[in-house]
Amino acid sequence: MINPMVEIKDYSIQLGTFQLNNINLSISEKEIFAVLGRTGSGKTVLLESVAGFYRKFSGAVSLQGKPVVDIPLEKRQIGFVYQDFGLFHHMSVYENITYGLKIQRKDKAYKKEMADKMAEILSIGHIMNQYPGTLSGGERQRTALARALILNPKLLLMDEPFSSLDPSTKEMMYQQIKKIHKIFGCTILFVTHDFNEAQRMADRIGIMVNGELRGIRNSADLFEDCQDQEINQFLLGGYERRIIV
Amino acid sequence: MKERFSVFSFFEIFTIIITIIVIIFTSVLILAIVLKGLPYLGQAFYSEEVRFAVKLSLYTASISTIICMALAIPTAYALTRTSFPFKKVCQMIIELPLSMPYLVLGLSLLIVFSSDFGKALKELGFKVVFDKNGIIIAQTVVNLPYVIRFIRTAFQEVDERLEFISGSLGATKWERFITITLPLSKNAIITTIILAWSRGLGEFGATLMLVGATRMKTETLTTSVYLNLATGDTGASMASATIILIISLISLFLTNWIGRKNPQESRMKDVNQ
Repeated sequence: MINPMVEIKDYSIQLGTFQLNNINLSISEKEIFAVLGRTGSGKTVLLESVAGFYRKFSGAVSLQGKPVVDIPLEKRQIGFVYQDFGLFHHMSVYENITYGLKIQRKDKAYKKEMADKMAEILSIGHIMNQYPGTLSGGERQRTALARALILNPKLLLMDEPFSSLDPSTKEMMYQQIKKIHKIFGCTILFVTHDFNEAQRMADRIGIMVNGELRGIRNSADLFEDCQDQEINQFLLGGYERRIIV
Repeated sequence: MKERFSVFSFFEIFTIIITIIVIIFTSVLILAIVLKGLPYLGQAFYSEEVRFAVKLSLYTASISTIICMALAIPTAYALTRTSFPFKKVCQMIIELPLSMPYLVLGLSLLIVFSSDFGKALKELGFKVVFDKNGIIIAQTVVNLPYVIRFIRTAFQEVDERLEFISGSLGATKWERFITITLPLSKNAIITTIILAWSRGLGEFGATLMLVGATRMKTETLTTSVYLNLATGDTGASMASATIILIISLISLFLTNWIGRKNPQESRMKDVNQ
């Protein structure tokens, strides 16, 4: 039997006054899964839990059948892109992108070749010598993606990666992520509060309400009615916004 | 100009007046040393005693700074990045000397190094009491809690998510520390080195308790000021004080210069501020 890429069973965690409650989720290999929810619903905590950020919790989070916390961080083969991209500000774009290869002690020629390849896919060849402080939001985002993807991770985790981008850059990034998914074949788990984004990008969508994963739907069926009034209310807001747009 | 002054509120004017008073007071203190000391400065450089004090001060301050950094960096890392039992208590013990008078710290050192332990060290060839090794130890003990606190604050300011990302890119904890935590704390660490060094240079209380004040033996610059003043040689005393002042000014300048942001790393580099 093939283990799912991500498996979360009865997962709960308390962080100050916030609680993530009894999460159950399974994401298969090469799937694009979106976690949709309002600000403060626990989306980022769920993403960080999958990455193995936290140590004190109940339940289980596994990556390909192995408990995530039992895999050393450096061996988890995950790429993480934060909402603010988390670039290393003391390094140039080239150094950021090739960081993982430097850690693996790859030679200069290989690093250059891979960096050029990533630069071509993500159109960032022109900013390789710049520092993150001098980049625009879209350039930072693409740099963070290139850095995460250069090691060909099995799982790409993204925390509201498009929220600070303008509509045309967003559109370009949607296409680039799809292209990346096709080229690298990685599983993608991302969180967003944008209905349109979730539907356009993901195969399936999980809906978070107050620290609980209340429903999982196929993208095409996102706006279907259900018994949970809180979900209906949340989705109705998104549906109305889309009609107005 | 008139318009600019009119935007000051009463509160702002009050704070500016207080600032001017502080500046005048500090300037008077500095000028008192400079004006009295400068005439003797040239003569002091020919004095074997002052040259000895300068050399001993520079040597002991440099060694104690190296020891402080070697102890403080791992300690600060452990306090900020690891969890172990009684961590808060440990932190309190480490920082307790911050609130202790240096004379009392010196007395503690004297008790420790006059004990059987100190005698055993002496038999092994490491003399502390009334020796220049004692100066290094006194400076280290006085500076260490400050240095740990500064570096701990610097490490705390480094976003732990960056270390997490670094780990997800394959870096071990050591590699994360070397490639992320340390470079991002670089300015604070360099500033701490300069401050620790200049504080070491100015240390007197604990040193006096542990090694005494013996001419041409345990005579640092501060001890030189004390000894010469006690024997009525005001000129030599002022000259030593001026040398300390000059070194302090250079340290302050270096600290501020290093504290500047690297313009290459900011998109505001072309903006007039």
